[in-house]
Amino acid sequence: MSGVSLKGIVKAYGALQVVHGIDLEVQEKEFVVLVGPSGCGKSTTLRMIAGLEEISDGDLTIDGRHVNRVAPKDRDVAMVFQNYALYPHLNVADNIAFGLRIRKESKETIASSVEEVGGILGLTPYLERRPADLSGGQRQRVAMGRAIVRRPKVFLFDEPLSNLDAKLRTQMRAEIKRLHKRLGVTSIYVTHDQVEAMTLADRIVVMHDGRIEQIGSPMELFLNPVNTFVAGFLGSPPMNMVNARIVAGDLGPVAEFGDNKIQLDQVASLQNSVGQDVVLGIRPEFVTVADDTVPHRVSVEVDLIETLGSEALIHASLQGDPFVIRTETVGQMNVLDGISGFTIAPHLIRVFDAKTGVSLPGQAVGQ
Amino acid sequence: MSTDPDFTGPTTENLVFDAAEAQRRRRGSTLVRIGDHLKREWQLYAMLLPTILWLIIFLYKPMYGLQIAFKDYSIFRGVADSPWIGLEHFNTLFNNDQFLRAVKNTVIISFYSLLFGFPMPILLALMFNEVLNQTFKKSAQTIVYLPHFISSVIIAGIVITAFSPSAGIVNTVLGWLGIDSIYFLTKPEWFRPIFVGTGIWQEAGFQSIVYLAAIAGVSPTLYESAVVDGASRWQMMWKITVPSIMPTIIIMLIIRIGNILEVSFEMIILLYQPATYETADVVNTFIYRQGLQGGQYDFAAAAGLFNAVVAFVLVMTANTISKRYSRTSLW
Ligand SMILES: Nc1ncnc2c1ncn2[C@@H]1O[C@H](COP(=O)(O)OP(=O)(O)OP(=O)(O)O)[C@@H](O)[C@H]1O
Ligand SMILES: [Mg+2]
Repeated sequence: MSGVSLKGIVKAYGALQVVHGIDLEVQEKEFVVLVGPSGCGKSTTLRMIAGLEEISDGDLTIDGRHVNRVAPKDRDVAMVFQNYALYPHLNVADNIAFGLRIRKESKETIASSVEEVGGILGLTPYLERRPADLSGGQRQRVAMGRAIVRRPKVFLFDEPLSNLDAKLRTQMRAEIKRLHKRLGVTSIYVTHDQVEAMTLADRIVVMHDGRIEQIGSPMELFLNPVNTFVAGFLGSPPMNMVNARIVAGDLGPVAEFGDNKIQLDQVASLQNSVGQDVVLGIRPEFVTVADDTVPHRVSVEVDLIETLGSEALIHASLQGDPFVIRTETVGQMNVLDGISGFTIAPHLIRVFDAKTGVSLPGQAVGQ
Repeated sequence: MSTDPDFTGPTTENLVFDAAEAQRRRRGSTLVRIGDHLKREWQLYAMLLPTILWLIIFLYKPMYGLQIAFKDYSIFRGVADSPWIGLEHFNTLFNNDQFLRAVKNTVIISFYSLLFGFPMPILLALMFNEVLNQTFKKSAQTIVYLPHFISSVIIAGIVITAFSPSAGIVNTVLGWLGIDSIYFLTKPEWFRPIFVGTGIWQEAGFQSIVYLAAIAGVSPTLYESAVVDGASRWQMMWKITVPSIMPTIIIMLIIRIGNILEVSFEMIILLYQPATYETADVVNTFIYRQGLQGGQYDFAAAAGLFNAVVAFVLVMTANTISKRYSRTSLW
């Protein structure tokens, strides 16, 4: 069971604490993505796992072994860096073989491993080239080759795709996913790109200011964010946030803001929170556009409609705040022309405490 | 209708053709091209101007005087009016035992300086790079840089004092070991080690700055990646640091080989004496004695020209070899 376990991991630079006690259990063969805004401590956490940063407090176990004080080379992890970290004076084959040479593997083992890895990554035609003569995507593949050739227990990735252009990134993302399926090695992947996180992860860890906000599968985090931070971070365009107050209605709790009222889900916590100020989280994808003929619609003022082919983004404003709607276009163009508001199913609205930003308990959207 | 289309006027096709033709003609003329280029980039050339002037005034203009190497020069007739005598000075030169000895000494001293002096700053830089304690590192660096900033005259004074037979520290220590005083600076066999050692002491620290700068330019993630791969500090030094600064090392080596005949001339003058001429007299000191002390300017110029031509050939060769085998070259 080559899992990785972090218990109360803390990182402090002198008096400045930047990671405040992280608890995370990564299962064997799992692909976990650490995601969060810049400076939230993702790289620091990953580097502590790699052994490149000292762990100030807490316990790190890899494969059941306590490794706080174990040197990086004895942790049996491999790391892929954002800027590839290829040796410019070595050709591709030698770059891939570097780790094996350091470990004094036999010549035959090295040659066959390099050949195999080159094949897996489609690098065979480039083995004799220097990194300077490769494209960004090829360099990235060499960096990956260097990690997988050692057959480590754990792969660590620190934003490996952020130096690539959008198209290549999509392509390499799929390749990493395929590679993980094929090799089945436990992986921890750092990114600030939520699309990468959503597509790659078995589980996502959302970090913010050196703390974990939420851990869960991509869909779980998308549908049931525990607070406004996670809600706003995942999803593109992000979740709309609307300030409202809960009042009692005929059919259970109702959110009231301005002249609008929206029916809420009949969850006990909402029913008991009448009078409370809340934030409504409304996914751009979950609303149904409505024209003047639809009763009980929430009305918005449409600024701009971006038609992207099969779908459209409607940039509107609700009580002066921006509100984005994402909708299908096919068979809807006439509605789009006359759009003046939207409706939404009560259980798809996420209600957060206005003061703490924490989701009111009991709400859950099924996957 | 009043306006028939006028086929003789400039049609679009004609205009395009004319433009292309004009461009072709324009492109054809090198002068025009240089003119365009200068107009566009004149600020860059303006910045280059002071250096070009310096080169012309201090390096190219004096070359006019080189011709006296082929003339029977006399100060009264001047450079232009002295009669040509062809290669006579060179003939004399190659039949002059002192000159041949000076060439031999130059090559030997240079070879030892290169052999022991060239790796030293590299080793120093690699060692400084491994020092983790910043305070120790800074003080050690300052101490090894220091001799560079001391005048050669004082350095020579220190060396002479240190090796003096009566009060010098070297002989004092030898005395403790029961060894008789040695008159180091009058012994031809001791001149080369003392000279080369002094050179290293004086310059190795300062020269290490170039390599330290090159080392500082190596991306830290290369080391981090190697650490995760399991490399020891020793392996990282040899497999990452040294290859990464190899281009710098090669450039420095080419420059060094180009200057191989430029043995630090004032240091020789300060340390040698007639008793050690046998091993100490080099081409430059020979030129100095012949030209400035002996007044044989034409003869000295010939010796100097010979020196320069050999140096030029050496740089060209080193550069070509380096270009062929390592992709690194001065030009
Ligand atoms: N050597 C250091 N000394 C002091 N503070 C540091 C040091 N290294 C990192 N930090 C701080 O630690 C925090 C976390 O940094 P980290 O590199 O982990 O961020 P990150 O989540 O990887 O961000 P990014 O997405 O920009 O890479 C930052 O606020 C950073 O300023
Ligand atoms: Mg980072």
